Amino acid sequence: MTVESGAAVPRRNSRRGTAFRDAGPPVALVVIFSVFAVLSPQFRSIDNVQNIVDAAAVLAVVTCGITFVLMMGSIDLSAAGVMGASALTVSLLVANNRNDNDFGLVGIAAAVVLGCAFGCLSGLALVLLKVPSFMATLGVSAIGLGVATLMFAGVQPNISDAMLKSWAIERFLGLSYLTWIAAACILLGWLVQRYTRLGRYAFAIGGAEEVLTLSGVKVKPYKVAVFTLAGAFYGLGGVMVTSQLGAGLVQAGNGYDFSAITAAVVGGTLLTGGRGGILHSAVGVVLVMVLTNGLVQVGVSPYWQGGVEGLIVVAAVAAAVIPQRRRNQVVK
Amino acid sequence: MSTPVAMQPVAEPATGRNGPRPAKRLTGFMPLIALVALVAALTVADPDFLTPRSLTAVARTAAPLIVLAAGATLIVLCGGIDLSIAALASLSTVLLALWLPNLGGMATPVVIAVAAAIGAVQGLAHVLLRIPSFIVTLGGMSILSAVALVVSGAGTVRVVDDSPVKWLELYVGGYVPMSAAMALLVVALIAAVVKATPLHSWISATGYSESAARLAGTPVDLVKIGAFCVSGACAGFAAVMLVSRQFSGGPTMADNLLLPAVAAIVVGGTAITGGHGSLWRSLAGALVVTLLRVGLPIVGVPSAYEQILYGVIIVVAVALTLDWSKVSIIK
Repeated sequence: MTVESGAAVPRRNSRRGTAFRDAGPPVALVVIFSVFAVLSPQFRSIDNVQNIVDAAAVLAVVTCGITFVLMMGSIDLSAAGVMGASALTVSLLVANNRNDNDFGLVGIAAAVVLGCAFGCLSGLALVLLKVPSFMATLGVSAIGLGVATLMFAGVQPNISDAMLKSWAIERFLGLSYLTWIAAACILLGWLVQRYTRLGRYAFAIGGAEEVLTLSGVKVKPYKVAVFTLAGAFYGLGGVMVTSQLGAGLVQAGNGYDFSAITAAVVGGTLLTGGRGGILHSAVGVVLVMVLTNGLVQVGVSPYWQGGVEGLIVVAAVAAAVIPQRRRNQVVK
Repeated sequence: MSTPVAMQPVAEPATGRNGPRPAKRLTGFMPLIALVALVAALTVADPDFLTPRSLTAVARTAAPLIVLAAGATLIVLCGGIDLSIAALASLSTVLLALWLPNLGGMATPVVIAVAAAIGAVQGLAHVLLRIPSFIVTLGGMSILSAVALVVSGAGTVRVVDDSPVKWLELYVGGYVPMSAAMALLVVALIAAVVKATPLHSWISATGYSESAARLAGTPVDLVKIGAFCVSGACAGFAAVMLVSRQFSGGPTMADNLLLPAVAAIVVGGTAITGGHGSLWRSLAGALVVTLLRVGLPIVGVPSAYEQILYGVIIVVAVALTLDWSKVSIIK
């Protein structure tokens, strides 16, 4: 009941706005894709489309995680640090040139669990210490990078594990295994969001946390759980980057935190929480990848990629805020 | 960030003036206590620490950090945050290195003015578009880094003739490095201007309760834009210091100063929720952070722990200084 009213009431008030917002990102995707397809012959080749989808895999997994956090109205800047730590963990636990470990899948699971632990840490800092999430996750990101640097210890671990390496190389139905893993993550994320209490409450916390608290729901455990879930996705993202690079790097997650926020926001997940979802974010991920790939194809320097993402985020957030700018006077 | 919604009527006014709690009184002195304790601990660990040579080295290392933190403190006092200071400083080092051959001595003021303008643009975006400050500056960080990469060609820009910025490497009275003296001067100047004008109460009012300040006729928007502008100028000046030390500009040169700067502000005891704090606190915070950074190798801890330390410091210091009475829902 609470969940229903928490999510449905604002939607009823602005049904037309929501319909527009839901249709916007896919329409933008089609338009941008068409524009690049007209401008560049290489862009519209089948190979390049495969490239785009394959390149989107890691970002999709990271964005799955961050979407749950954004739905709650919090933010997560810890992806880079968590991915670095999990990349180093997995590369030191599977067959590699630094030690004699060869744990295979167990090593991968350990890296994901490490991601969970970092996410849990962010959640606990938010809930118990009341540190705003952007500060808590900024701190956790630094801790993750520090842990990764400690494990790196000056020598780059190159992985020789056949299975992990094959994830990035082997293809099934024309797409790399990593892409299928990402698709599975999106499906899993959607199921969690749609059918579990965790997903429904994440929405409700973002929509109207005080209503939820007043109706007797203990929101704190759910907040921690959402950050933990997000951490698991970042951990897996770190493993996937390691598979792509064939080595564990501290900088494995560089830029993914911001790209993931960009993708989620562009897809229609509001930073104020309570709107959007995994499928929105999936569209956002493809949109960001099409844009970065297309810009390079038409001859824009790849160094501009971050700048373009920055502009998109600011523009998308500004566009989402315009309808309610009179209502919330205080913006920190 | 989020509009605070009071679930229960808050009985106690959120000014924190009348009768501070013991914990708050303690956190008020926290930076000074930490500073003294650190100096004492480092002197015990290494008796050579308290020599003029190592102290000047610490002061020179701390100078850019002090300036960066001082500027950003104004924004935090208004209740916002500036995550773009480090990226802006990096971009400014590149611009300074590129412009020094042509503009000579004029390059320094021009770069500081450009940085201030960039800061003001971010402030305008924050105020006019009503975007949360951390999103504006997160986007700004990304954009400024991209600009720095493109302008510099993703490489270090060497400074052949550094005479126009060499004055920062001089020593005042033989001991005090000029850069540290200038950093102190910047802090003193901003603090004095804030103190002597209505700005002090405007900034606190904006930080403590923005909607009340607005209703009382405080020019909240102008105060915020001004804070961003000063923060940008400080980032530009920090860049001048970096260039004078390293004889070059680089697109990522100052990027690793973001966490120390944020840590310096919160360690100093400036509340991230706004209103409570001061520039002098950030000065002490910056010295604490620098001493930790310099001290770790002295005690024999690998520098990889530095990052972990920053992370822990930020989370703990924010938790200690947070004004709990003001926010009932933390996002």
